[in-house]
Amino acid sequence: MTSKNEIRDDQTHRFVRTHPMWFKVIRKPAFVGATFLVLVLYAFLLPAREAADPTVLYVSISFFLLLILAWSGNVLSDRNQSEAAKMIVALLLIGVLGWLFYNYSGAQWDKLADFFFNWEKLSGGWKVLFRGLGVTLLLALISAVGTITIGLAVAILRQFKSGTLNIFLKIYVDIFRSVPMIVVMVVLFFAMPYAGISLGSIVTTIVALSIGYGAYAAESFRAGIESVHSGQIEAARSLGLSRWQSIRMIVLPQAIPVVIPPLTGNLVAMLKETAVASVVAAPELLKRARELYTSRTNPTPLIAAAIIYLIVLVPLVRIVNMLEKRVKLR
Amino acid sequence: MNKNDVMIETVDLQKYFKDLHVLKGINTKVTRSEVVAVMGPSGSGKSTFLRCLNRMEEPTSGHIYVEGIDIMAPYIDINKVRTEIGMVFQSFNLFPHLNALENIKLAPMHVRKISDKEATDRGMQLLNKVGLSDKALAFPEQLSGGQQQRVAIARALAMQPQIMFFDEPTSALDPEMIGEVLDVMRTMAKEGMTMIVVSHEMGFIREAADRILFMADGVIVEEGNPDEIFKNPQHARTQDFLSKIL
Repeated sequence: MTSKNEIRDDQTHRFVRTHPMWFKVIRKPAFVGATFLVLVLYAFLLPAREAADPTVLYVSISFFLLLILAWSGNVLSDRNQSEAAKMIVALLLIGVLGWLFYNYSGAQWDKLADFFFNWEKLSGGWKVLFRGLGVTLLLALISAVGTITIGLAVAILRQFKSGTLNIFLKIYVDIFRSVPMIVVMVVLFFAMPYAGISLGSIVTTIVALSIGYGAYAAESFRAGIESVHSGQIEAARSLGLSRWQSIRMIVLPQAIPVVIPPLTGNLVAMLKETAVASVVAAPELLKRARELYTSRTNPTPLIAAAIIYLIVLVPLVRIVNMLEKRVKLR
Repeated sequence: MNKNDVMIETVDLQKYFKDLHVLKGINTKVTRSEVVAVMGPSGSGKSTFLRCLNRMEEPTSGHIYVEGIDIMAPYIDINKVRTEIGMVFQSFNLFPHLNALENIKLAPMHVRKISDKEATDRGMQLLNKVGLSDKALAFPEQLSGGQQQRVAIARALAMQPQIMFFDEPTSALDPEMIGEVLDVMRTMAKEGMTMIVVSHEMGFIREAADRILFMADGVIVEEGNPDEIFKNPQHARTQDFLSKIL
């Protein structure tokens, strides 16, 4: 037994991880602790914003930043540190960065609450914002129907593999995946009236979002349809089913579950993009917030709008994530 | 019906994939109730030949007559032709979102337009015939390869085709499952089904096939009844091939 162990120990060194000396030193708890104390000391010695020459100030702060980043990096990249320790270091780093920003950005913090979180000035504004949210959701809902219809139609038409048709479908998809949504809307709203077409802000938004995101949805549907094995269509066609019957009864039922996660992703992105409609004066959430910002001469409504977007969209983003995981599990 | 009816005839059938000349003029006839085995080394064009016969692959030139009708003619609705031709694939290609019975019922209901009840009756009958009446509600992923292939055969038979194509029906199966599929095919041959089978299952071919078409490099180099060809192959390519698989 002992001899066996000896042989193994003899052999083990061939596979043992080796580190250079300096690496072993910086990973020692004593080194980490000592450098932390040095950094704390450095932080106390940092000159006040008004007291020092700007050059000295910037150089010393930059150097401090560099050191604190190196120090946190040393802890966070150490696989022997516990996750709890890493979390503390990460929070500490964020705290230090916040502290630096608070002390040295030059903002008038005492007045900040008045600017950003002045709920008195917003009084009565919530109702306006929620009405805006209603318009946002309605725009997104109608555009979602348009997006899915266009996306599915384009994807199915592409399956017919007609050369001429495919060229035009590809051009459509490429155009609307390349041109920014805001440009599409502005062109539709401000330029088309010169060609005798004025759609109004609501219709412009719905049309722009539908055809714009329809292009993305078409790609998602196409990927789903192409994920269905070609033998499936062959089997269906060999039974005498027409091309359309094969797509409807064999391909789509298999493709839809694959398409749902990316399609939901497209639709959530579209819901976000409704904010762009504020440039064509659609009375949605951001537009309402900007109006309140002007009339109340205070940015609190903008902050409120941001929070509303966050509350509505974070759950949706989580749902997309869950759907993606579910498909991967299958 | 006359036993010597010609079911399928090809005249100078040619197929190119881009510059690759896969079929270099195939001329053959298959008569009613005949079982024809197509053999040949890989790349000889046997699968392409079979797939051209119902235009799953579009032939580049030549003619195909099904019961005397030129199915290459522009006025032909190929979907109607395919209702008369059952096809069984190497990879089964059952529809995974439908159970066994639904797989079988789909085409009769939506192409032949028969009622749900009639399709169910026919489906159960066929499942019984392939020995899977207890698997009617099973989905393809719950079936073994051999069971899937038998359902696929039942699915093709549900259209009551005049002729059946088999494209290497046992090549994707584990050895212990090949027998159950070949048994079903043997029964069909005995019942007088016209069959074209791309396969290298020597035992099955010797027993069930009336004729072998031996293909190499896109042409039929030799044909004849299995005993003759297996015992006394004439063409060098046939001799070479048989010496390797026997």
